[in-house]
Amino acid sequence: MKLTRGGFAYPGTTLGYKTGTWRIQHPEHAHWRAPCHAACPAGEDPQAYLAALDEGNPRDAWEILIKVNPLPAITGRVCPHPCEAGCNRGQYDEPLAIHSIERHLGDEAIAHQWLYPVNKPSEKAPHVAVVGAGPAGLSAAYHLVRQGIQVTIFDEMSEPGGTLFTIPDYRLPRQVVRSEIERLLDTGITLQSNHKLGRNIHLQELQQDYAAIFLGPGVMKSREWSVDGVTPNDLHEGLHLLKRWSDVSSVPDMKSAAVIGGGNTAIDIARILKRNGVDTHIVIHSSLPDPKNPSEDDMRAIPREIEQALEEGVQIHDHHGIKRLILRGEKLTGIEIVRMRKLRNAAGRLHRVAFEGTESILHVDQVIPAIGQVIEATGMENLLNGSSWFKVNEWGQIAGKDNIYAGGDAIEGNGGTVTEAIGNGRIAAEAIAANLNKNELPTFNKAEPISFTSLNMEYFEPAPRVEEAILPVEERVGEAEIESGLTGREAAREANRCFACGNCLRCDNCWTLCPDSAVLKTDEVAFDGSYYVFDYDYCKGCGLCASECPTGYIRMLDE
Amino acid sequence: MKTNKRAVTADMLVHLRKNQPRFEGIESGHRACLGCGEALAARLVTEAAGPEVMIANATGCLEIFTTPWPESAWRLPWMHSLFENTGAIAAGMEAALKAQGKPTKVLAFGGDGATFDIGFQALSGMLERGHNVLYVCFDNEAYMNTGIQRSSSTPHAAMTTTSPPGSERMGKRHLKKNILTIVAAHQIPYAATTSVAYASDLRKKVRRAMEIEGPTFLQIHSPCPLGWGHDSAHSIKVARLAVQTGLFPVIELERSELIGSMPIRHPRPVTDYLKLQQRFRHLFNKDDARAVEELAHIQALADHNIKHYCLDGEGMDALDSDGADTVRRGGMRWA
Repeated sequence: MKLTRGGFAYPGTTLGYKTGTWRIQHPEHAHWRAPCHAACPAGEDPQAYLAALDEGNPRDAWEILIKVNPLPAITGRVCPHPCEAGCNRGQYDEPLAIHSIERHLGDEAIAHQWLYPVNKPSEKAPHVAVVGAGPAGLSAAYHLVRQGIQVTIFDEMSEPGGTLFTIPDYRLPRQVVRSEIERLLDTGITLQSNHKLGRNIHLQELQQDYAAIFLGPGVMKSREWSVDGVTPNDLHEGLHLLKRWSDVSSVPDMKSAAVIGGGNTAIDIARILKRNGVDTHIVIHSSLPDPKNPSEDDMRAIPREIEQALEEGVQIHDHHGIKRLILRGEKLTGIEIVRMRKLRNAAGRLHRVAFEGTESILHVDQVIPAIGQVIEATGMENLLNGSSWFKVNEWGQIAGKDNIYAGGDAIEGNGGTVTEAIGNGRIAAEAIAANLNKNELPTFNKAEPISFTSLNMEYFEPAPRVEEAILPVEERVGEAEIESGLTGREAAREANRCFACGNCLRCDNCWTLCPDSAVLKTDEVAFDGSYYVFDYDYCKGCGLCASECPTGYIRMLDE
Repeated sequence: MKTNKRAVTADMLVHLRKNQPRFEGIESGHRACLGCGEALAARLVTEAAGPEVMIANATGCLEIFTTPWPESAWRLPWMHSLFENTGAIAAGMEAALKAQGKPTKVLAFGGDGATFDIGFQALSGMLERGHNVLYVCFDNEAYMNTGIQRSSSTPHAAMTTTSPPGSERMGKRHLKKNILTIVAAHQIPYAATTSVAYASDLRKKVRRAMEIEGPTFLQIHSPCPLGWGHDSAHSIKVARLAVQTGLFPVIELERSELIGSMPIRHPRPVTDYLKLQQRFRHLFNKDDARAVEELAHIQALADHNIKHYCLDGEGMDALDSDGADTVRRGGMRWA
């Protein structure tokens, strides 16, 4: 039977008609950085390594992670993880346990002796000196080597690690620090231990011999402390006790102690004293943190550590200040404390007010100041000009010095975390490398991260956050680590909870739901981290893909 | 926020289009409106049914927008029937194929007008005679192609051009016809409802119907942005809310008995669904007592559905109204 032309049509011939001409707006893939990425002081993009882990590639995940942070086993343990505070999932059920996964990847790398994928710099490459083998210095050295620059680190101690060794073992086992640093140095970093600036080496020599200098000296000197000029004659200050504990695992004899301060040093020393049977108090003028209602006046220590200290029986007197030492001769028998609050005065400035009539006596035989540390200026006096901190620009360059950079706790405005120091080291290294190679300086992404409301929650299911097992209080003795890591299975399960905010989840939603088949799935020609391309010949611009994209990775733009 | 637009060449797209890892019975270039639920539903049906099928298609949007002469969007043997005789045409195709000893399955496609109203007797005859046909009704709840006239599928209180709200009426006076129960009363082996918002459920039900020798029926809730008056980007959102409110129960019947339903995890108030659509706009005048009453009426209809079809979820279920569309990295949910 012969059909007339009006009676049939060849299959699929509508392809000749480009419905894309109807469009007044079009979809685009738009990578939008996740809040965890924006919040990380080291500059990590947790979303990216969680994706690799979720795909079943822990080693790829680790390699993504160490492109930014070479010390994940350390930061996974000690970082206050602002990434988790930023996590969009926190507004749905519970934030991702990013720190646990970071630690897991770091631990896996140690367990399997994964090597940093870095080539040793050539001997002709420029040579940079790094002062201080703490987190900032190690990070700077690593990132310089990654960019093909030779590095020598000078450190005053016999072992690299710096401030990492003042963190007690129950939070950060020394073995972890050693394993991580040892492998890091193997990337081709030269270490000169027992070299103290101002004693064995001098800034001038370094300036002559090296193309650039990075200073990461940390703040290793305790701030001066007294009450109206008075101190007990057997005063031990917090940092000194931590160092002693780290070196010889002992504390001086005492029955009871009041630790003054609310930072991590104060909490660490209080918990160590408690483990040694000392009746331990912390006196701090700011407040105990309330996770639901964070305030500027919160203690600076990591909330998780404060919580564990309280569990272990450390008594924290928040909103209290020390008013007077009660001495018998030069021996302490107690302290007088008083309630305090931060209030605005008539000029609108915040200041602390002690309330008369709220004084009480704390019977302690030791008072231990842990009120902060300052830089030890020896050998760097000319750079500091009498200041307590280095003043640097956003790349870490010291004002007025072309080739001297600084990072870590010693720079002005630093939050005093390992993670931030690692970030400082990386940024300075990138800037040094750019300068030496005569490239453009790295830029900073200051764009707002993607918000919770840009995601489509219909496509996610509630799932409980995986928590690391925590040692019961009665078993927290000596140096036993309190938090145990995740198993591979737990880490993978947790990575699966990630929303992949602002990134392609490869979920097929757009491909499945486009009424016009204008989304094509591909492995080869997709770009910008996506697995799909839009066929604008046929896309009518209805916006359905953007509306149903779970992660906010598609947005509609006017033609 | 940064974008990274790179030119994808026309050759790449042609190559890609030919190598998509799925079968598409309908090609791009069809003339459906932006965000058309029916175009999506029809493509999903062909995707699950595969290439070994023939289609009889009633008059309606689907027929019109896929075959603007002299083009066709179909990549399957496809025949246009009249509005009223899709069931009869499909039955004839099936009988002819059977006589030739060919295993090709016949699909019959119709909108709600062609199914609930005009083609109803032909459908009933086809079901009664036991033809091996999967009849798919794309339910967009009015005669959209001819200009949004009410059908017996139009829900209660919805505005159409022939059920305008005014001093006498608040939109359509009558109720949506329960076509599934009527169809199932023919004692056919399988009759089910599904929604474009739940693509996995839709395809699962198509595959199930394809395996059955005998008449089967699938009613697919397919939003019409133009006729319902919602944003074209919200077709899926609206369809999902119809299910989550209980207004469109997703159920399966075998031999007229309820054998399965998609539980609703957290029933949403019907206003969440209604307020997105202009066809229910007149119900949101708080000063009009009739509007308030109609909203309560529609909520009561939803509550009745939930009770009648046992849609109350018991805790979290991977296949309930919240779980059935969960995404997984790598697209595994769309199996």
